Amino acid sequence: MLWIISSLVFILLRIAPGDPVDAILGTRANEFARESLRIKLGLDKPLINQYIEYLNQLIHGNLGISLNTQEPVKVIISKALPASLELAIFSILIASLVGYLIGFAGAVKPESRIDFWGRIFGIGTYALPPFWAAMLIQIIFAILLGWLPIGGRLPPGAIPPPAITGFLLLDSILDKNIEIIFNSIKHLILPSVTLGILLSGIFSRALRLNLEEVLKKDYIQAAKSRGIKDSRILVKHALPNTLLPILTITGLTISSLIGGALLIEITFSWPGIALGLQEAINQRDYPVVQGIVVTISSLVVMISIGIDIAIAYIDPRVSY
Amino acid sequence: MLKLHYIKNILKVSSVILFLLQLSCVQNKKRENIIVASAGKIESLDPAQANTLRTLQILSALGDTLYKVDKEGNLYPSLAKDLPKVSKNGLLIDIPLKENISFHDGSIFNAEAMAFSLNRFMKIGTLNYLLNDKIEEIKVKDEFLIRIKLKKPSSSLKSLLTSVNLTPISPNSYSNYKDNFNNKSFIGTGPYFLESFNASQQIIKPFKNYWGEKPLNKGIDFINYSNSSTLFGALKTKGVDVLISNSIDDMQRLTLNNMVNKGQLKSGEGDPIEIGYITFKSNKLPLENKKIREALSYTIDRELISQQVSFGTREPLRSIVPPKLHKKVFTPWPKYNHNIARSLLKKEGYCETNILSIPLTFRSNVPADKLLALTWKDQIKRDLSDCIEITLNGVESTTVYKQLSEGSFEAVILDWTGAYPDPEAYLTPLLSCNKINNNSCLKGEAVFSGSFWGDDKLQELLEKSEELEGESRLKNLIKVEQLAAEGSAYLPVWLVNPKAWSLKDISQPEFSSDGLIILKNLQRY
Repeated sequence: MLWIISSLVFILLRIAPGDPVDAILGTRANEFARESLRIKLGLDKPLINQYIEYLNQLIHGNLGISLNTQEPVKVIISKALPASLELAIFSILIASLVGYLIGFAGAVKPESRIDFWGRIFGIGTYALPPFWAAMLIQIIFAILLGWLPIGGRLPPGAIPPPAITGFLLLDSILDKNIEIIFNSIKHLILPSVTLGILLSGIFSRALRLNLEEVLKKDYIQAAKSRGIKDSRILVKHALPNTLLPILTITGLTISSLIGGALLIEITFSWPGIALGLQEAINQRDYPVVQGIVVTISSLVVMISIGIDIAIAYIDPRVSY
Repeated sequence: MLKLHYIKNILKVSSVILFLLQLSCVQNKKRENIIVASAGKIESLDPAQANTLRTLQILSALGDTLYKVDKEGNLYPSLAKDLPKVSKNGLLIDIPLKENISFHDGSIFNAEAMAFSLNRFMKIGTLNYLLNDKIEEIKVKDEFLIRIKLKKPSSSLKSLLTSVNLTPISPNSYSNYKDNFNNKSFIGTGPYFLESFNASQQIIKPFKNYWGEKPLNKGIDFINYSNSSTLFGALKTKGVDVLISNSIDDMQRLTLNNMVNKGQLKSGEGDPIEIGYITFKSNKLPLENKKIREALSYTIDRELISQQVSFGTREPLRSIVPPKLHKKVFTPWPKYNHNIARSLLKKEGYCETNILSIPLTFRSNVPADKLLALTWKDQIKRDLSDCIEITLNGVESTTVYKQLSEGSFEAVILDWTGAYPDPEAYLTPLLSCNKINNNSCLKGEAVFSGSFWGDDKLQELLEKSEELEGESRLKNLIKVEQLAAEGSAYLPVWLVNPKAWSLKDISQPEFSSDGLIILKNLQRY
């Protein structure tokens, strides 16, 4: 799978119009300058040679050097990925909390007022264009009310703590820097809440539908007829059986967020991997694009395998 | 009742958290450094690689150039001791250098250092063709005198020496970077030294041993945000002190200008250096027909477009060289007149039944381009719907640049900023052509610019201007531009001023002639 993805990225990038030499030199450079740079960057070699070299390097864990900055791609990814992961983790937490709470309330009391508004919330947040919602939230909470910072991971001028894990909040806790801890939380709130709320719609809808279905099953009715308390039926019988599809949806959402939430990262100037990928595509920085895509794909594959293992562990009917 | 109790508790906890977060806000503290925000990351601080406005802006504070251009457009020495002395045959240029100037690493600035920097740029600089096309050799004649030997006389070279890309760097600190870029540090002679660098934030502090006027501030923090709304919001919420205009949308520019008018902000404006224009591909029918291109040059209502797209902040332009560089008002392109356009098109057999169809390409990631395209299309529909029809095509900018020289676009909206403040920096990149066949350019800059238009007489005048100086050179370049207007392969639309806004407690931003903020003049009151 990874080989297919990395080969596809390699081919698609070369097919796409645009040239890293143009992006670096501009279109005005003379042919000599362009050719010199092409040789320097190894772009003068036949495509097949470039491809073989790329695969060879990839197998040895070398993602290459950025054409634009001459920085190792590994370093670029190691700087950007934790920012995306930090945002993804907090967003998923918020999305789970809000989404599952609303979905649960709706499923427990179907057709009630809370269920009605929960469904409206679910459909509404799912339908909202992320960039629009993000800008709206930014305008209200950062510009008009001034409660939270408008973007970035830290206030301008603040010195970040030494990068130990790359996760700013964790690093500032390890550094015992109270000001940076609070500032990093403050900067995290708007993007993660925005993303969390946008994702919570999927979670609430998924839980509500699955739970509602499970609650109609014969074994639930049987449990009720045996006089078991509703709360016990929900927690002990219904929820565990709802968990499988929910786990799959959560896993898929986490996988998609590892690649970064591009529009959220752009709107909030969040220096994550999606923003880096977008910049690299604009500059036709082949190694960076390839490196980021391969890294994201690897993580997605790992998470998918992890979810499959978890499902097999939870559900004895599933075996591999 | 129980629910209400829970809600109250949640609200209480939220209030405490928000209160704590507000307490932690460093923005409320009096900042020492001035925070300057703009769009775009800085990937490298090497002057040999710098090509973005943001990088040049920082380098202009970290380094000095041999010469600078004053407000009247005249060259004056900065690191040089005197104006360059050109030999009679125009092939040798002697530049005496100031003494007692040191680099940030303590080493001495001298002719060796200057020659090292220029040679390094010529060897590895991404824009090295600017020098390599002109310079044969750089020699150290004395400890504080360098001699530049040219391949052919070049009067534009002096202006080129004002380019921030040619700022000297310390040979001591760059001894390991003779053949490769030093992206994350910079050792120059400028009023500031680099204290810290990462892609999203750079901090510079005043250099104690600076030879010239000392900065009026205690340091500058450069930060970048990825979009216009965040930049705008950051200034509005006082998260930053100064905002540079390079990526601010026109709507937000207008709001910022209104805030300036109300006294809520200050603003400064530099001489316009960026031109916006439309290129017509002139080697294929129907635009191969000069009369049709001429007709099109009458069809654009620049005043209307400026108002509709930029609320009047972009100045209508009828030349391809910013007027300031000609030192006089010169508008060779015709004014909007749809009647003349119609009559010219009728003569060529268009209008009524035969409608001229022009596919107009705009860069989809440049909002102003899209608005310009839409407005021009509507304006044509209003005034000349019986003669012309414009169809729009949005293409990402990197693709546009790549396909421009392949002749993929009949008409395309572009912009250009000269690498140095000189008419030649606008005329040559758009008009120069090495091989012309019947007004069609086969090889040269006109191919890269997508017009494929060449003119032997124009080329001759352009080459001659390199041998001329002063007033006669300017006159010659005016003739070049007149011929370009007659050829109508380009349609200038507007002029963009570099602009910056600052908070009330910060001094008004001042600009140098190359469109960069003079950072050392910024001060907090």
